[in-house]
Amino acid sequence: MTMRSRLAQLAATASLLAAGPVAAQELQYWVYSDFAQGDALKLQQEFIKEFETAHPGVKIVISGKGDDDLTSGQIAGAASGSLPDVFMNGLAVGAQLVEVGALANLHDQWMAMPQEFRDQFDKDAMASCSPAPDKIYCLPYTGFGEIMFRNLTVLEEAGIDTTTPPATWDEWLEQMKKVKAAGKFAMPDQTQVFNSVASTYAVVGDKAKWGVDFDKHQTLMDPESTTKLMQAFIDMAPLNSGTSRNDQATKDLFITNQLAFHVVGPWVDPTYKQASVDSGLKYDFVLVPGGKAGDHGGIKSYEIVGVAPGPNQDIAWQFATYITEKQQMLRWAKLLSRYNGNAAAMSDPEVAKLPLIEKSVEAVHYAADVMPPYFVGAYPNCYRSIMTDVSSGAADKEYTAEEGAKELISQLNDCLAQ
Amino acid sequence: MNARKHLPHYAMVLPFAALFATFFLYPIASGFYYSFHSWNGANPAVYVGLANYQSVVSSRDFTRAMSNLMLYIAITVPLGISVAFGLALLVDSFRGFWSNFFRSAFFLPVILPAFLAATIWRWMYAPNFGLVNMILGWFDLPSVNFLNDTGTMLYALIAVDIWVSAGFNMVILLAGLKGIPRDLYEAARLDGASKLQQIRYITIPMLAPVLFFVVTYGFISALQVFDVPWLLTGSSFTAYGGRRGALLFPVMDMMGRAFGAVRFGEAAAYGFILTLIIILFTAAMFGLRALRARK
Repeated sequence: MTMRSRLAQLAATASLLAAGPVAAQELQYWVYSDFAQGDALKLQQEFIKEFETAHPGVKIVISGKGDDDLTSGQIAGAASGSLPDVFMNGLAVGAQLVEVGALANLHDQWMAMPQEFRDQFDKDAMASCSPAPDKIYCLPYTGFGEIMFRNLTVLEEAGIDTTTPPATWDEWLEQMKKVKAAGKFAMPDQTQVFNSVASTYAVVGDKAKWGVDFDKHQTLMDPESTTKLMQAFIDMAPLNSGTSRNDQATKDLFITNQLAFHVVGPWVDPTYKQASVDSGLKYDFVLVPGGKAGDHGGIKSYEIVGVAPGPNQDIAWQFATYITEKQQMLRWAKLLSRYNGNAAAMSDPEVAKLPLIEKSVEAVHYAADVMPPYFVGAYPNCYRSIMTDVSSGAADKEYTAEEGAKELISQLNDCLAQ
Repeated sequence: MNARKHLPHYAMVLPFAALFATFFLYPIASGFYYSFHSWNGANPAVYVGLANYQSVVSSRDFTRAMSNLMLYIAITVPLGISVAFGLALLVDSFRGFWSNFFRSAFFLPVILPAFLAATIWRWMYAPNFGLVNMILGWFDLPSVNFLNDTGTMLYALIAVDIWVSAGFNMVILLAGLKGIPRDLYEAARLDGASKLQQIRYITIPMLAPVLFFVVTYGFISALQVFDVPWLLTGSSFTAYGGRRGALLFPVMDMMGRAFGAVRFGEAAAYGFILTLIIILFTAAMFGLRALRARK
């Protein structure tokens, strides 16, 4: 071996050694635990593999976390400087994540993307990620609009014509009373969790007056809508099952033909579909009735993809754009039959005809956001507990509807003032 | 010179001392520091004096959590220890296979993860078709929604906690029972003492140190109650505490402030208030014991 070839070999080895650590870039990617198991995980791994192939030297490590682990891990990660590079979470915790510095402002990177890419996303969903013109904190990912699951056996036993869903709250309440008269439960107890209170408000209240004015430290709820909300809880109290919408017991009551209506996201559908195979459960899903004909209730929200500030921000952004892009969101929608924030994927003919997606897309159009405005301020704990406490108080007849409304607004404002 | 002689000894203690300082002293000191600051975990902490302590103590949730806690302790500690004492006496009366069988059966809930225990009991308490309501149905009693009725929620939790912890206390009391000389009972029997009199005049006095430990431990555990009510009421930062906060406890409230509301300073202050309460309780227990010993 000549001196020259020996030198060339040395130079090549040195360059390889030098390039190695630079090229190897590992991204931590945190997702909800149900995205990290079964078929969902397989699809996530496909996305990761495709991205890694297109970006040699990049390695994505996916970790599934429970809802609270995801949030507490990101908050603790921000405090300790060990944030995951790209992660999912819910819109509702966006303000907390911004407050602790867990989310990078993606505005410049977003604006640098081709118009075609930007146009894919649902405009409302994108607006939720952008609290100010120069701030974008997320990309919309999966999401939901609430729909009303109906147990057709229970309704038929109560003598209700199931061919036409109730168009208004009044019609719906009449049906609930008939169900109770037939010895069954109409609804879960809607006062138990914040989301079901929000959901009921979206049925009977003015959706424009829901949420918080963080500048004034005041709730947007007005006495008229809130009185209607309280009255709804008073009316539903004797008709409900006493279980929360999220309880397994609620699903069991529905499956065993004891419960007529379950207003919730589409995630219960696989359970009900399985029950229809196993035990012949007869059910369907329709839009949640609204206060007046032509309007509808229910809530909507999105899971988001956020990117942490730091040295990996650029490549993490690229990965975020890859997984939220139409082709990937199409594959998600086909796999899970679930709504997501990519409007182009949702309007794809093959996806749009899936019944659950078709209904979800329609539901999202009417539904109210759970905790608006996002990324502006965090709802304090007392806001949520006051909402459920006073609602329960009204259902327990501790307040009249008017008293409950006054009490609720007053307590919420006190909570926000603190 | 002397220090140099002991250098190897110091070196041996050093790893433990370093770990102790890093994972015990430092977190306590830093928690104490942050309890006087407004801090969200990321931005610079701002000194606020006693505002965090004031905010915690004056909050509605603190009052609610503390009143739930007091009622919970007042029932759980005496009832739990009575149940464990009864079980210990029962198991002590058996020998061989049955003794081992009952010991294992009663201890089993202790080793179950809280998640499993809570899941089992959520099913048991389910309205209409839960086991407890099925049993009520056999006696024509109306169905009770144990985990939603504010009048029953706390008692439902107490039943779960007693089920979970009785086995642990039973094993400790059983060990104490084994240490009581049998001839004391034989002498009492010869003197015509009934079973109850034997328990009253021999078993309980001889078990006093063990009972003291079990009661003190029970108090401290009860003050830190968290996992079972957290899991029974939805196990999430948005749903904990149950209907109208009937199952809200201080540690849950503290967690909610830290990770739900991102107020780490306030949560740290909460932690120190709880620590102070635990210290006061424990000191009171030792004080009572010393007073009794002096008499």
